[in-house]
Amino acid sequence: MAIITSNSEIASGIRRMTVSGAPIGRAGQFFMLRVPGALDPLLGRPISICEIDANLGETTFVYQTIGRGTAQFARLLPGQEIEAQGPYGNGFPLNGGRAVLIGGGIGTAPMLQLAKELRASDPARTIAVYLGFREEAYLEQTFEQYADSVTRNIGGYVVNDVDFSLDATYYACGPAPMLRAAASAADSASASLFVSLEKHMACGVGACLGCTCQTEHGRKRVCKDGPVFDYREVRDAI
Amino acid sequence: MQSNPLELTLCGISLKNPLIAASGTFGFGHEYSEVMDISRLGGISGKGLTLNGSAGNKGMRVYETPSGMLNSIGLENPGVQHFVESEAAYMRTLGPAVIANLGGHCEEDYLEGARLLNSADIDILELNISCPNVKAGGMAFGMLPDTAADITRKVKAVSKHPVMVKLSPNAPELVAVARACESAGADALSLVNTFLGMAIDIKKKRPVFENVYAGLSGPAILPIALRMVHQVAHAVRIPVVGMGGITSAEDVLKFLMAGAVAVQVGTMTFAEPKAMLEIIDGLAAYCVSEGLSNLQEIVGII
Repeated sequence: MAIITSNSEIASGIRRMTVSGAPIGRAGQFFMLRVPGALDPLLGRPISICEIDANLGETTFVYQTIGRGTAQFARLLPGQEIEAQGPYGNGFPLNGGRAVLIGGGIGTAPMLQLAKELRASDPARTIAVYLGFREEAYLEQTFEQYADSVTRNIGGYVVNDVDFSLDATYYACGPAPMLRAAASAADSASASLFVSLEKHMACGVGACLGCTCQTEHGRKRVCKDGPVFDYREVRDAI
Repeated sequence: MQSNPLELTLCGISLKNPLIAASGTFGFGHEYSEVMDISRLGGISGKGLTLNGSAGNKGMRVYETPSGMLNSIGLENPGVQHFVESEAAYMRTLGPAVIANLGGHCEEDYLEGARLLNSADIDILELNISCPNVKAGGMAFGMLPDTAADITRKVKAVSKHPVMVKLSPNAPELVAVARACESAGADALSLVNTFLGMAIDIKKKRPVFENVYAGLSGPAILPIALRMVHQVAHAVRIPVVGMGGITSAEDVLKFLMAGAVAVQVGTMTFAEPKAMLEIIDGLAAYCVSEGLSNLQEIVGII
């Protein structure tokens, strides 16, 4: 059981919740968060790790209040308990060299911990971050401490801002149309691209088969075998 | 030595407690073995198998509803042969009783699947005639007494394992189906599978699921499942394994008092993986507080 240390709105319908006591994960992994004892909503909600403070033992989640589950999270107060099952999923590979991170909407959240880990693993590397939002930006300043450049796009197509011809590893998380555009751009430029997928899931551990998708190497579970995949493997699932 | 007040015998198999992981919610045990001590369970019913395996249904597969969820997985599974060669032996190492759940698209699939399972080291074959999510299969066999009895009789004739028939709550005459399966030689019955339900995406103005209908499970169905278990348990002499929305030891006690000798838990495991372990502890505490030498003493008292 984790304890909530803060839970506040950072943009319209977007909240940042920090908890202490959850096991420490890594960038690209997620937790199934659930209000202890609740039978309605019943299932945990898969929420990706936005930032980890290993020294304080704290994990931060940035989530969008879109349904009854996340609306229930929004009402939780500091000091209250939350069930944080996980960390689940494979996480992002920390490849060497230049990195380009592309986040769309709430998909910007996992990119923050990725930027942090990439910076920690190689202080000299170049990290470029591209963030796309429909109306209102968030997390932008937080990225600046880890990234060499942060490019923001509001109301447009963030993928159009990205140069895919660099000798770099590209990482993307966001809505399906954004990931498809990134995949198409990566195809044209023969770029190395990892995408983090999102699907409805019930268990988060690979048992319910609610989130399986067809890949180049047979059927895979987004929660257990992903959520991060080489885009070429999951082209048909994006 | 102190006897275990939770132990029971089902189809001649000794279970250390009445908690069985429900088919389709526990894979073959691999995933949850990483997050909890699954050796403490009474039994595990593996993912529903079909003869040749299946990729399952397209589109949305799980969708939460008030105190429950709809699923339309569509029996995604690796096939019976793969289970026999790669999963059955693993399940045996886990400790709980091993139950293989077999679905089918036609009679010959069921019978060939049952023949293949004869070479697997399993304790019970759970005959799934109640999956609502596969067209022209599964549930079609479980809707009417005659078809349910026919497939039960034929599977019993080829299977060397005890056969527990998993019933559908969608059958118009569930008690008649249960009696027919008993007459056809079923060793036990398990019920209920999911209730056929529906969800509509009002923004897109279309059903949430590609198959339109999907299976409802979770606490929302408990009172109806409990009533059905009560009706069936009082209509047959063979053991009944009850399920439907169980989340707590108290819920298990309700099913046992209604006549089930054991229970299966599914949806709650998704929400809280360790729920079954907490339930086992709760049942043990209940036996102590009620002074029961065996929990089976309360079976069917209502």
